[in-house]
Amino acid sequence: MTFAWKAAGITYNRYLAVASRVVRRSLKEEKRLAAEPRGESEVRFAKWSNGKPGEPKHLAEANAQDTITRAGGA
Amino acid sequence: MNSLRIARAALRVRPVAMRIPVQRRGYAEAVPDKIKLSLSLPHQSIYKSQSVIQVNIPAVSGEMGVLANHVPSIEQLKPGVVEIIEESGSSKQYFLSGGFAIVQPDSSMSINAVEGFPLEDFSADAVRAQIAEAQKVASGSGSEQDIAEAKIELEVLETLQAVLK
Repeated sequence: MTFAWKAAGITYNRYLAVASRVVRRSLKEEKRLAAEPRGESEVRFAKWSNGKPGEPKHLAEANAQDTITRAGGA
Repeated sequence: MNSLRIARAALRVRPVAMRIPVQRRGYAEAVPDKIKLSLSLPHQSIYKSQSVIQVNIPAVSGEMGVLANHVPSIEQLKPGVVEIIEESGSSKQYFLSGGFAIVQPDSSMSINAVEGFPLEDFSADAVRAQIAEAQKVASGSGSEQDIAEAKIELEVLETLQAVLK
C-alpha cells in the first residue's frame, strides 16, 4: 500500500501527528482547549562532537528539514 | 438374554457419563462469545480489557467487524469511527485519528490511537471552517510538504463531516 504523502517525504509518524492535530482542532471549544497542548513539542537536541555540544536545534524544525530532503532524494 | 440386558444397561449409563465433562466447564469457556477490548490513547485508556460483543474498525484494508475468536491480525486504521457493541447491546462510537488494531489469538483486542473522542465532542462548524482552509492550502502554491499535509487534513475532515451528519 502506498500513500500519496509518502512521496512528499512525510513519515507515518508525521502523518499521525497531522491527522491528530486536525482531530483536536475539530473539537468543541471546551474539549479543544484541554486537548490542544498535547500536540505541542518543545524538544531540542544538540549533536555532541569532540566533547563539545553543537548548536541546539528544535526537533520539529529538524524533522521538517529532513522531510524536504527525503522528498528530494526519493 | 443376559448379554442383552448388559448392553441395555450400558446404553443407559453412557448419557450420564457424557454429561460430566459439560458440568466441569471453566470460567474462560463460560464466556466464549466476548472480546476483551483495550482502547488506549497515549494519555488515556478508554477501555481497559473490558468484555464487549463486537468491534467495527475502519482498517486501511477496508471496514471490518471483529467478533470473538477472530483470526489473529494486525490492521492499520484510517482516521475514522470505531464502533463498539457492549455487553448490554448498546453501541458506542469514537472517532480515532489513526493507529493500529491488534487481534490476539485469545479473543483479546488492542486498539492504539493518538486521539479518540466520542462523536458528540466534535463541532461541525469547526470542521467546515477547517475544510475551507485546508482546500485553500491544498490547491495553493505552497511547498510540496504543505500541500501533502493539507491533503491529509482534508481526508480526516471529510470523514469527520460525513459521520457528523
